[in-house]
Amino acid sequence: MAKKTDLLQGTLDLLILKTLASGPLHGYGIAQRILVTSKELLQVQQGSLYPALHRLERKGLLKPEWRETGNGPMAKFYSLTAGGRTCLRQETEQWQRYAGAIAMVLES
Amino acid sequence: MFWKRRETELQRELSHHLHHLAVEFERQGYSQEEALRLANREFGGATQVQERCRDERRWAWTSGLRQDIVFGWRTMRRNPMITTAAVLSLALGIGANTAIVSLMDLVLWRELPVPNARQLVLVHWKGHGFPQELADGAAGSMQPEDGWDVADFFSYRAFAQTRARASSLAAVAAFTYHHQVSVSFAGQPTVAMERAVSGNFMTVLEVRPQLGRLLLDSDDNYAAPGAVVVSHRFWVRVLGSDPAVIGRTMAIDNTTYIIAGVLEPSFYGLGPGDAAEIYTPLHQSRFLRKGLGPAGNVLENPRYWGLQLLARRPAGVDGARLRVAMDSVFRSTWDKQPKNSVAAPSISFDDGRRGLGDLRKELRRPLFVLGALVGLLLLIACVNIANLLMARALARRNELVMRVSLGCGRARLMRQLLTESAMLAALGGLASVVVAWATVTVLGQFLAGDGGVPMAFVLDGRTLALAGAVTLAALLVFGLFPAWQASGWLDASWLRQGLGSVGLPQRRGWIRGRLFVSFQMAFSVILVMAAVIFTRNLVAVESRDPGFDRRNLVLFDTRPGTSAYDKARLTRFYFDLEQRMQSTPGVSLAGLAAMRPMNNGGMWDTVQIAGQTKRYDVSVNGVTPSYLRLFTAGVVAGRSFARSDLTNPPRVAIVSEDLARHLGGNTVLGRRLLMVDVPPGMKPPEYEIVGIAPDIAATSIKNRPFVLWLPFGGDAPAATVVLRTSQRPQAVLPAIRQTMGEIDRNLPMVDTVTMEEQISKGLERERMFATLCSGFGILALVLSAVGLYGVISYNTSRRRSEIGVRLALGARPRSVVSMILREGLGMALLGVAMGVPLVCLGAEMVNKQLADIKPMDAASLFVGVGILLIAALVATGLPALRAAALDPAEALRQE
Repeated sequence: MAKKTDLLQGTLDLLILKTLASGPLHGYGIAQRILVTSKELLQVQQGSLYPALHRLERKGLLKPEWRETGNGPMAKFYSLTAGGRTCLRQETEQWQRYAGAIAMVLES
Repeated sequence: MFWKRRETELQRELSHHLHHLAVEFERQGYSQEEALRLANREFGGATQVQERCRDERRWAWTSGLRQDIVFGWRTMRRNPMITTAAVLSLALGIGANTAIVSLMDLVLWRELPVPNARQLVLVHWKGHGFPQELADGAAGSMQPEDGWDVADFFSYRAFAQTRARASSLAAVAAFTYHHQVSVSFAGQPTVAMERAVSGNFMTVLEVRPQLGRLLLDSDDNYAAPGAVVVSHRFWVRVLGSDPAVIGRTMAIDNTTYIIAGVLEPSFYGLGPGDAAEIYTPLHQSRFLRKGLGPAGNVLENPRYWGLQLLARRPAGVDGARLRVAMDSVFRSTWDKQPKNSVAAPSISFDDGRRGLGDLRKELRRPLFVLGALVGLLLLIACVNIANLLMARALARRNELVMRVSLGCGRARLMRQLLTESAMLAALGGLASVVVAWATVTVLGQFLAGDGGVPMAFVLDGRTLALAGAVTLAALLVFGLFPAWQASGWLDASWLRQGLGSVGLPQRRGWIRGRLFVSFQMAFSVILVMAAVIFTRNLVAVESRDPGFDRRNLVLFDTRPGTSAYDKARLTRFYFDLEQRMQSTPGVSLAGLAAMRPMNNGGMWDTVQIAGQTKRYDVSVNGVTPSYLRLFTAGVVAGRSFARSDLTNPPRVAIVSEDLARHLGGNTVLGRRLLMVDVPPGMKPPEYEIVGIAPDIAATSIKNRPFVLWLPFGGDAPAATVVLRTSQRPQAVLPAIRQTMGEIDRNLPMVDTVTMEEQISKGLERERMFATLCSGFGILALVLSAVGLYGVISYNTSRRRSEIGVRLALGARPRSVVSMILREGLGMALLGVAMGVPLVCLGAEMVNKQLADIKPMDAASLFVGVGILLIAALVATGLPALRAAALDPAEALRQE
C-alpha cells in the first residue's frame, strides 16, 4: 500500500465540498470516496472529518438529512446547498491558481 | 431539549461511522469482536471528536453558559444561607433605591401627562415688591429669586389681551389656585377642590376627555349654562364611576352645573399631588364671582390680580421673542404706568413641562438627602455580598485550585464565578421589584399631596429599567471582586501549596474582609444616625407643648355659606350650632373659628399700634367668645370677647401675650391697633385691644407666630367647630354627628378629626422622613450585622484547630470569647471612627430641616453608636460563644 499523505491544512473543506458535488453522502461515505478517488493517497482523519462537517453545516454550505441506508440504521447524509456550490466553485478556482503558482515556482 | 437532541444525533452519527468501519474489518476476515476493537482504535477518541464537533457548533458558547448556570445553581443550593443572605441584601438595597428614585422621578423629573409637555411655559412676572400702584389685591404667590420678586398672578384683563394679541406666537390659558368647595351630587354632600380655568385651558394643555367633552371657550362667559369637567379621581370617588353622569347636574357651592366631561385617568392635574378635582369656567366659578376684590367682580376689576397663566409655545417660536411680545401687552393692561419704570413688573418664563413646581421646590432637598442615604444602603448591601462571596470563594479555594490543576482554563473559571454573581444579581433584581413595589405603596400613603390626595405613584417600565440598571451596577461592584480575588490564587504558588493547606491564613484576603466590614459599619453609622436624628426631631416636635391640652378636642369644618344659607340666616345658624353643640352630651365646651387651628397656615396680616411705626406680622383668626376657653383658662389681662362684640365689622381685638410684650405689656389694653395690609387709599381697619390671651400654638406645632384674635364674623361662609369633650372624643363623636344631623341633614361635617390627629397631620413630611430613615437604618444595621457575623464566623471556623489547641492547653473559654469579641468590636469601632466624621459633615446639610434639636448632640450620638455596638456585639457574640463551646479533641481530630 502506498504511503498515505496527510492533508494539507485547509484543503479538507474543499475535498468534502467536491465529494458532495456528485450527490448526498454520509460521513463514512465521504471518507471512503476521498480515499478511493485519490487512489488511497489521501486518508481523512475521522477526528478532522466530523468537526469539518459540522463547521460547514454551521456556515450553511451543507444541508444534513437523516436517511435510511441500504441495510444499516439511519445515517446522517450531507448534501451541498446553493451556497456550498458557489463556495466550491470559488475554492476550486483559488486552489488551481495556487497549485499552478506553486508548480511554476517548482519548475522554474 | 434542543441541546439534548443535538447531542444524541451527534452520537448516532459517530456510531454509524464506527459501525461501517467494523463491517469493513469483518469483511477483511476479523471476528466481530476483533473488528469492533480495531474500528475503535482506528476511529480514535470518540469523546474528543465529539468535543471538537461541539466546539464547531453555532451555540457552543451558550451551551458553555448553560453548564455555568447549572453549576452555579448547584453551588447556590449548596450554601442556602449565603445565597439567601446575598439575594435578600440585594433585593432590599435595590428595591429601596428603585422606590426612592421613582419617587424623585415623580416629584422632580416627570413631565405632565399631556402631548408635547415640553412646549408648556408658566408665565410669571418679576419686579420689586408688590406693585401697589398697579394692583389692589392678588391671589397667588410671590417669591424672591435672584434679587427679584417673582410672582405668578395676573389680572383677567392682562390674560384676555395677552391671549388675543400673542395668539400668533403662543396659546395662553389661565387658571386659579384650587380652593375647597361644597359639592352635592344626587343628594350626597361632600367637599372637593375646584380650579377655575379659562375656556381654552384644556385645549391648550391638550388633555383628553375619558367621557363627554372638555371645557370650551363657549362655556366661559356669564350667559352660558354652568358646565363642569371633573377629574377621573372625582368621577370614581363622588360620581360612582357611572358613565351616565354626563349631562346630569351637580351643585357646587349651591350653584347648579352640568357635568360636561370626565378627564382621562392619566391626567393627575397640574403637578404630582395636585388636589384639583373639578374644573369650572372662570366666568362660571362662584369663587371668582363672589367678588373678592373691592370692586365686586374679580374678572371685571383690572386691579385685582388673581389668575395664573400658562402658555403653549410651538417649537418654532423663540422664547425671547414671545417674552417681549407678552411683556408689551402686559404693560399696556395697567390703568396707569408706574413712575419708576425700571422697577416695573416684566414678564418672565418658567419651564412648564413638569407643571406647577411648589412640591418640587419643597421636596427637592429632602429627596436628595433620602437618595444619598438609600445609595449608601445599596453600597452596604453590595459590600455585604462581596464579603459573603469572598468568604465562600475562600471556602471553595480547594475546589477552584483542583479545577485549575485538572486543566480548566483561567478565563473559563472567571466566567464561572461571574456567572454565579450574575445569577445572584438576577435573583436579587427580581426580588427587588417586589420590595420596590411595597415601598412605593407605603410611600404613596405618606406622600399624599395637599388635600390628602395620594400621588399618582406607580412602578412603570422606566422604574423597572432603572432597577435593572442598578442591579447591573451592583453586579459590577460585588461580582468582579471575588473573580479578581480568585484569579490571584491561580498562581503557581497556590498549586504548590496543595490541597491540604487548611490552616494557613491568607493574610491579604482576610484583611480585605475586615476592612470591608469596617466600611460597612461606617456607612451604617451614617444611616443609623440619620434615623436617630430624624426620629428624635419628630418626637421633639410632636411632643412640643402647644400651650394647651391637646387631648379631648374634636374639630370639624362646616360650610353653610356655600350651601343653602344666605347671609341673614348664617349668624342665626352659627349661634344655634354653637348652642346645640354645647348641650350635646359629652361635650363640655364648644367654640367656632374662622380659620381651622393647627392647619399649617391661615390668615396673615401686618399690624401696628396707632401712632407707632413698628409693624408685626400676625396670624389672625376670628373666634366666638367661648373659643379661647377651649384652649386656655381665659385671658391674662383685660377681658374676653362677649356676644355683643360679634359685630360686623368687628371693633375689638385680643392679642397674644408675646405680642403684647413687644407692644408694651399691659399698657396695650385700650390702645388702637391698625391692620396695615390694605390697598393704598383704603382706610386700614382699626381695633381696640381689649384683652391679652395666653400664648398658644395656633397655626402649627412647628412655629408659633404672634396671634391676633378677632371676634367671629357671623356671616362667614364657612367655619371650624372646635369641641372640648369630657371623655374620649371617639365616644362622643356619634352624639356630635347626631346633633349635626338634627341641625341640618344636608350639611356635611368636613374633615372631622381629633386635635391630636390634626397636629400629627401637620407633621406628615417629618414623619415620612423619620419613618424612611428608620427603615433604612434598620436595614443597614441588619446588613452590616450579617456582614460582621459572616466574617467572624468564617474566621473562627478557619481557626478551629488553633482554638482547639488553645483550649486543650488550658485556655479558659472566657478568654476565647473575649479574644473573638475584641476582634469583632475592633472592626465595629474602626467603622464608627470612620463614620462619625461623615455624620458630622452630613449633619450640617440637614441642619435646616430640623426644628428643635441640634443634629449632632451627645444624646443622638450615644444612642446611634450604642445601637450599632449592640448589634455588633450580638453579631460577634454568637460565633464567639460557639467557638468557646468547642470540644478540643473533636476540633483536633478533624484536622
